[in-house]
Amino acid sequence: MKNVILLTLDAIRKDVLGVYGSTKGLSPFIDSLGDESLIFTKGQTTGPYTQASFPGILTSSYYLDYGKPRGLAPERTLISEPLQKAGIVTAGFHSNPYCSDYLGWNRGWDVFYDSMEDEVEPRIPYIRGDIINTKVSNWLELQVKGGNRAFFLWLHYMDVHEPYMPERKYVDMVDPSLTLSEDEMYDLFENTLLKRDVSDPAKVELLKRLYEIHVREIDTYTKEFFGFLEKLGILKDCVVIITNDHGDEFNEHGGISHDYKMYSELIEPPLLIYGTEQSGEVDKLVSSVDIAPTIIHLFGLEPVPAFKGHSLLPLEDYPEKGAFSEAFDQRSQRGGDIEKDIYCYREKDLKIIYHANLDKWEMYDLKEDQKEQNNIVDTSSAAEELKKRLQPMVRRWVK
Amino acid sequence: MKVTEQERAELKPEVDKLVEKSKEVIRDTFSKYKIEDMAITWTGGKDSTLTLWIIRQVCLEDKIQIPKAMTIDEFDVFQEIHDFMEKYTKEWNLDLEWCRNDDVVKAAGGKLNNIVKVKDLDERNQAELKRIGFEEDSFPFEAESYTGNHLMKTVEFNKYIERRNVKAIFQGLRRDEQSARIQDDYYEKKEAAHLIPEHMRIKPILHFSERQVWKAYKVYGIPYCALYEQGYRSLGAKTTSAIAEPGVPAWEQDLEHTTERAGRRQDKEQMMGRLRKLGYM
Repeated sequence: MKNVILLTLDAIRKDVLGVYGSTKGLSPFIDSLGDESLIFTKGQTTGPYTQASFPGILTSSYYLDYGKPRGLAPERTLISEPLQKAGIVTAGFHSNPYCSDYLGWNRGWDVFYDSMEDEVEPRIPYIRGDIINTKVSNWLELQVKGGNRAFFLWLHYMDVHEPYMPERKYVDMVDPSLTLSEDEMYDLFENTLLKRDVSDPAKVELLKRLYEIHVREIDTYTKEFFGFLEKLGILKDCVVIITNDHGDEFNEHGGISHDYKMYSELIEPPLLIYGTEQSGEVDKLVSSVDIAPTIIHLFGLEPVPAFKGHSLLPLEDYPEKGAFSEAFDQRSQRGGDIEKDIYCYREKDLKIIYHANLDKWEMYDLKEDQKEQNNIVDTSSAAEELKKRLQPMVRRWVK
Repeated sequence: MKVTEQERAELKPEVDKLVEKSKEVIRDTFSKYKIEDMAITWTGGKDSTLTLWIIRQVCLEDKIQIPKAMTIDEFDVFQEIHDFMEKYTKEWNLDLEWCRNDDVVKAAGGKLNNIVKVKDLDERNQAELKRIGFEEDSFPFEAESYTGNHLMKTVEFNKYIERRNVKAIFQGLRRDEQSARIQDDYYEKKEAAHLIPEHMRIKPILHFSERQVWKAYKVYGIPYCALYEQGYRSLGAKTTSAIAEPGVPAWEQDLEHTTERAGRRQDKEQMMGRLRKLGYM
């Protein structure tokens, strides 16, 4: 039995990776995995930000299944729980406060590092990927020495996430001519990004540049991590799933960062499965709720009834189905305003979006209109059918 | 704490082995640093008291002077802890310094939950707030809030290291205390940074579980603060520590299946602080 590793890259957009067509050369290592990976070209996360998407990835359930969330609902099943019960070693290493011990994400892990006890740099409130790697490699070494039990490892890098303040060495790898000081970078974060001010295209462009430099940075961490696996002689015994929790916007739809929107720059993830001896592009529509069932399948365990997704493997058994996402406004009031909610449903290349508080619909044909600029909800003959599919999910917790 | 001779004899081999490892770490540190460059943190809690006790044992065995000790007075201290520490400072002949951020206490008018205006603080405290990204004009004076914890504990700790020129400091941290510490090493080097002096942190009881800590108290009859008899498991500031099981001494509780730090508020504050800085709040 192989070990399974889930590598999630916070805030990374699919279109910045060479393996998905970017020509900027920001991800040479991840791209090099392409030949030995299944590359899913049509995927959807369960939401456009961490809180909305990780329930999909790690619990195969949807963000608002239990109404307005206050930490991880006890009803949800974390992927670590059935695995631990089955005798598989479970370990998680990350630095995202939204998946912290405090919010209930520590269930079922033999080792759970969420960094919340560690000091962080004042302006960068998370532990960088190189430190995460050190912790993971220490653990891996013990794990390999300690015997022959299979393991599931979840590893998450935060580094692409704002405030976009890359270290000089990564700046030099991507754009040595860029001479912004740390203070200038932080100023862009505080006064442009945090204010969602897109009035100056040059500033938005600069933020995107800094973001891209971080992509190069986590590609380096990914390479280093694979290096550990190789050095320990276990790479051949591992399946590695690489994906994101959400993307980031740079004024494609009037904003920056990742707010409650349902466009592809935010909810279309990269999704690679490396090490199954299968490779090539897969154009079936898949969802992040399918990841946990896939992990269960890879360990040869019985499907978990609580999981709402379907195993991606074997590919030929994967059913044709729609993908659902939802979110609400997290910024307008403390704890978020669930009255400003948004829902999204996709089938094949058609996507429909519903703003519940405005009773407003949008619809896009992603084959013809990849940038989602042309709302066809009033003209498409498929609109009524898609609305019908989405409607039961809208405010389903209101009885 | 009631222990029978039989129980003590049964526990002794396991505990001896654990303490031996701690002594090894302590002796190794003693061989690398001068006594005057070292210090011991002591909170009066079970972990730091055990650490201090083992260090003292090493000093007695090797006939050397025990390094100086420091404790942080967060202004919200249990009288029981204070009395316990006073008693053993005398009995064990310790050089103990009580460190308190008096500037914050003064700005709060000497009362918990009063609002502290940032402009009333001295330059250092203002710089420290800036360092942790706190940008509001005021905050309530609570020892274990995000800002309070930083000013009352972290800052006082760093100031002490600087003032006393400490190169190596012993701490009573345990690996099993939080899952986050699972990877910790006995030696943790802190690099110098803005407002942080370089120093080495040494954690001699890192490998003890909570259960084993109490076993050590039983085997060696180490003194402990009476609050543990009332059911406290983890002692922090007075207003933010809660009794885990009323009337059940800590060592008789179900330590393996419940949380040690229940009732401590710092974790939430820490999380909120980071989310704020990520631009989420």
